[in-house]
Amino acid sequence: MTEPLTGAARAAGSGADTAPGPVPGPVPGPATGSPARPGRPPRPGRGDAARRGGAAPYLFLLPAVLLFTLFFAVPICYTAYLATRRIKVSGLGLGRGSRREVSAGLDNFATALADGELWAGWLRVLGYGALVLAAMLGLAVLFALLLDSATVRLARFSRIAIYLPYAVPGVAATLMWGFLYLPSLSPLRGLLDADLLGPGTVTFSMANIAVWGGVGFNMLVLYTALRAVPGELYEAARLDGGGEVRIALRIKLPLLMPAIILTTVFSIIATIQVFAEPTALRPLTNTIGSTWSPLMKVYRDAFVTGDLYSAAATSIVIAAISLVLSFGFLRVVRDRAFGEG
Amino acid sequence: MAAVTTPARRARRPLGLAPTAVLLLGAVYCLFPVSWVLVAATKSPGELFTTPTLAPGTGLLDNLTELLAYRDGVFWRWLLNTVLYAGGGALLATAVAAIAGFALAKYRFPGRNLIFNLLIGGVLVPAVVLAVPQYLLFSTIGLADTYWAVLLPQMLSPYSIYLARIYATAAVPDTLLEAARLDGAGEAGLAVRIALPIMVPGLVTIFLFQFVAIWNNFLLPFIMLGDDGKFPLTVGLYTLLAAGANQPSLYNLILTGAALSIIPLIALFLSMQRYWRTDLSSGALR
Amino acid sequence: MRARPLAAAAAAIVAAGIATGCSSEPAAAPRPAETSAAAGPVTLTYWTWAPGMDKIAKVWNAAHPDITVKVSKQAGGDDASAKFLTAAKAGNPPDLVQAEYQHLPSFVAAEAVADIKAEVGASRAEFSEGLWKMVTLGTDAVYGLPQDSGPMMLFYRKDLFDKYGIAPPKTWDEYAEAARKVHKADPKVYLGTFSSKDPGSFAGLAQQAGAQWWSIDGQSWKVAVADEPTKKVADYWGGLVKEGVIDGIPYFTPEWNKALNDGRLLTWPCAVWAPGVLSANAPKGKDRWAVAPLPQWTAGEGHSGFWGGSSVAVSAKSPNKAAAARFITWLNTDPEALRLLVEEAAIYPAAGKAQAAMTKAPDYFAGQADFWQQAATAATAARGFTFGPNVGVTYNAFKDAFDQAVAKKTSFSAAVQAMQDATVADMRKSGFQLAP
Repeated sequence: MTEPLTGAARAAGSGADTAPGPVPGPVPGPATGSPARPGRPPRPGRGDAARRGGAAPYLFLLPAVLLFTLFFAVPICYTAYLATRRIKVSGLGLGRGSRREVSAGLDNFATALADGELWAGWLRVLGYGALVLAAMLGLAVLFALLLDSATVRLARFSRIAIYLPYAVPGVAATLMWGFLYLPSLSPLRGLLDADLLGPGTVTFSMANIAVWGGVGFNMLVLYTALRAVPGELYEAARLDGGGEVRIALRIKLPLLMPAIILTTVFSIIATIQVFAEPTALRPLTNTIGSTWSPLMKVYRDAFVTGDLYSAAATSIVIAAISLVLSFGFLRVVRDRAFGEG
Repeated sequence: MAAVTTPARRARRPLGLAPTAVLLLGAVYCLFPVSWVLVAATKSPGELFTTPTLAPGTGLLDNLTELLAYRDGVFWRWLLNTVLYAGGGALLATAVAAIAGFALAKYRFPGRNLIFNLLIGGVLVPAVVLAVPQYLLFSTIGLADTYWAVLLPQMLSPYSIYLARIYATAAVPDTLLEAARLDGAGEAGLAVRIALPIMVPGLVTIFLFQFVAIWNNFLLPFIMLGDDGKFPLTVGLYTLLAAGANQPSLYNLILTGAALSIIPLIALFLSMQRYWRTDLSSGALR
Repeated sequence: MRARPLAAAAAAIVAAGIATGCSSEPAAAPRPAETSAAAGPVTLTYWTWAPGMDKIAKVWNAAHPDITVKVSKQAGGDDASAKFLTAAKAGNPPDLVQAEYQHLPSFVAAEAVADIKAEVGASRAEFSEGLWKMVTLGTDAVYGLPQDSGPMMLFYRKDLFDKYGIAPPKTWDEYAEAARKVHKADPKVYLGTFSSKDPGSFAGLAQQAGAQWWSIDGQSWKVAVADEPTKKVADYWGGLVKEGVIDGIPYFTPEWNKALNDGRLLTWPCAVWAPGVLSANAPKGKDRWAVAPLPQWTAGEGHSGFWGGSSVAVSAKSPNKAAAARFITWLNTDPEALRLLVEEAAIYPAAGKAQAAMTKAPDYFAGQADFWQQAATAATAARGFTFGPNVGVTYNAFKDAFDQAVAKKTSFSAAVQAMQDATVADMRKSGFQLAP
C-alpha cells in the first residue's frame, strides 16, 4: 500500500505547481511529510513515468478542448465583440433599416464601470457573500467530517437529505420560499417575529437559500475527498490514542485543506455570480431591485430591456473581477497554507 | 456509513450521539423546505392558500390526474426529454472530464498548464452571459431548437474536469501505469483499462453533479428550444407558472410536477449508493 | 435558416427558396408563397401561450391541408419577448408569434415582425379604433391582428361590501373613502392593494385618467410617462398607501392569493380576464365576487383602460407571410375560430362581433348576468395609448421605482418621474428622435 500512496502523494505534490493555484489533489499525504512545495525539482524517476505518452495526452484532451472552443471560447469572444457594439437608431426607429449596429468603442465598459448602481450591487454581494461562504463552507466541512467519522449513524440518510435541496427545480423555489418566508403564510412566523423579507433581513433570507442549496454539494466534494484518504493514516493516530475529534482536527482537516480551498474558490465565483436566489425572492418583496446583484443587471439588460451590448460589457467586468478575487484568494492561501519552510 | 461503524470503533467514541444529532439537524434543515414541496403537491387549488402551510391536502390524485392529462400528457414528454438531456449530457460530460482529467493528472506535456487554466477559466463566465451567444452560434450552424443544442454545451463542465483531475491524481498510482507500460500496454489501453476503472467512484460523483445540474438547468434550454415538444421539465413547468398575463398560474400542477421531478433524482442517488462505499483507492483495505 | 428535423424541413426549405444544398430537388417550387397558398403545402410555426391553442390549430389544419399550423406553447411574461427577439436576431424565429400590445413596438423596432397591411388590412372593421391603433402604432403599416383585449373593471367582494356597509364606489374619491372605512373597521382588511410588480395594471389606470405615455409626432417620439394624468393616478395611490389604508403587497404572489382567500382584500381593479385568475387561486370565492365599472375621476364620466391583451404578428423572416396572414385572419375574425378562442383559450376576443356574442357569464360570476355587457361597455370606454419601442425599460423602471416607493412610502409621482427619465435616457442612448 505504501507504493501507490507515495505515488499518489508525489503526483498530488506535482499538481501544486501546475494548477492555477496550489490546489492539488486531496491527498497531499502527510505520511510522506508536508506537501511538496512549488518549484521543488522533480525527483528522479518521476519524470519518466509522467512524461511518456507523446501525442496521447493531447488526444485525450481533444474532446474537452474542442467543446471548450466551440461552446465557451467562441461565445466568449462574441460576447467581447458585442461589448464593443451598440445599436444606433435613426428617427422613429420603426421603418426598415432605421436600426443599425455600430461600434461603441469602450463606451459600454466605461458605462459599466461608472455605474453607481453596479457598485452598490457589488457591495451588497460582498456582504451576502461573506455570510454565505462562512456558513455554507463551515457547515459543509462539519458535515463531511461527521459523515466520515466512524461513529455516526444514519449517515446515508443524512447525506442524501443534505444533498437533496440541490435537486429542487428553480421553478418551484420561488413558490416554496414564498410560502416559507411571507408573513401571512410562513409556518415559522410564530417562532420568528420578524419580517423575513424586510430591508434589514432580506440578505440573511437570501443567504439562507444559498446555504441550503449549496451545502450538500460542497459537503459531497469534501466527503469524497476524505474517502480518498487511505484508512491506515488514521489507524496510526488511533494507535497513538487519538480520539475521533482529534483525528478530525489534526489529520483530516489538514488533509482536506486543498479540497476546502477548491470549494472556496468555486464558491467565491458562484457568489459573485449570485443570481438565482435574489431572482427567486424578487417577485415576493419590494426590497430587491432589478440590479440587486451585478449578474441580475446583466440578465435585466439582456432579457428585459433588450440591451445585449451593455449586458456583454458588464459581464466581462464581472468575469474580470471574479478572476481577480479568486486568484487573489489563492495567492493569500498559498502563502498561508503552503508557504511554510 | 453502516459498513464502517464497527463495534470496535464505536466503543472509542467520545461524543456519544452528538455527531449523529448534528448531522440529523442538518438533514432536517435541508429537508424541511423540500418536504413543503411534497406537502404542497397534495393540495387542491382551493387548499393551497387556505389550509396551514404544512398540513397535507386532499388533492394529490386530482393534481396527478390533471397534470398527466395536461395537453395530452405532455408532462411525460418533458420528463423523457429531461432524462435524455440529463442522462446523456451527464454521461458524455463525465466521459469527457474523465479522459481530460486523466491526461492532465498523469502526463506532463507542453501546454498543460495553459489548457488546464483555460478549461477551468470557463467557470468565470456566467451562464447567463453565454446563453445568447451560444444560441446565435447554434442558429448559424442550424442546430438551434434541436436536442443537440441542449446536449452539446453541457458536455463540457470545467468543475467536472477539475474534479476528475484531482481524483486521477490521487487514485491512480503512477507505479501501476508504469507496470502496465512495461507489459506493453498502449496509452489508450492504459487510460481505458487501468485508470478509468480506478476512477469510477470519483466519476460517479461527477456524473451525479452534472446530472442534477442539467436536470435543473433552465436558461440554456429556455433560450435554445422553441418547440415545446423538446422542452425539459424546468422549461415546461415554467410555461405553467408564467402562463401569460391574463392566465392564472397553474400552481397545483407546477408543485405536483416539481415533486414528481424530484423523485427520479432520489431514486438515482439511492441506486448510486453502492459506489459511495468504495474507497477511491479501490481495493485498498479500510 | 430553420433547424427542424430534416424530413419536415426539406419541404419548407424548398418552398422557401433558400439555397441550402437542396437545389437538386425539383426546381419547380416557386418563390415564397406570397401570392397564394396554391404554392404547395406549408407548415407554420406559432409561438403562443394561450391555452388550448393547439386544439384550435387542429380545427384549422383539418380544414386547410395546404397550410399546417404547428403550435408551440411558450411561457408568457417579460422574458417571452426577449426570447422571440433573440430568435429573430438569430434568423430562427417562428412564423407566427403572440405579441402583447406593449411589446409589439419593440418587435417592430427590431424589424422582427412584418408589415402585413396588404394581407390583413381588410379586417380593420372587425376591431375597435383603439385596438387597431395598438397594431398600427399610429403609422400606416399593420404589424399584427388583435387577438384579445383587457378592458379594466372593478372586481369586488359583494358579500364583504355588504358586511362593511359600502356600495361599489362610483368615483376614486368614493373608493378612497371606502378604503378608510374598511381598514378602520378591521385593521387586517384592506379595500385593495397597490402592486409595484405590475406596470401593466398601472398603465391601464393611467390610460383611464387620459395618459398618453408615448405618441408619434411626425418623425419623432414624444415621451410623456410623467404626464399630469399619470402623476394624478400615482399620487392618489401613493397617498392611500402612505396613509396605510391601501396595502402594498404585489399581485399574483402567494401572499396575495392568501389575502384573497382570507377575505382580507375586497377589490381588484383588473381586466376582464380576472375571473380565470380568481377561480384558479381563490376557488372558494365563487359567487362572492361581483363586477362594477372602474371608479371615475370625475363623477358621471365613463372611462376605462386596458391591462394586457395581445395580438398575433407575422415574423419578418417568415417565408410564408401570405399563408400566415390567412391563418391569423381566420383565427381572429372567423366566428367559428372566435368561438373556439373563447371556449378553449379562455380569452376575451378583440373582435367586436365576438365580444357582442358573449352571453353566458363566467362560472365564477354565475350570479352576475350582465357580466359581458359590463365588459363590452368597458371595452368601448377604454382608452389606450401607443406604446413605445422600449417598454421593457419603462416597465422595469416602474418595478424598481415603485418597489422603493411602496416600501418606503415615498412619493409615487417621483417614481413616475424616474420611469420617464429612464425611458428618455434609454431612447436617447439608442438615438431615437425625440420631440422636445
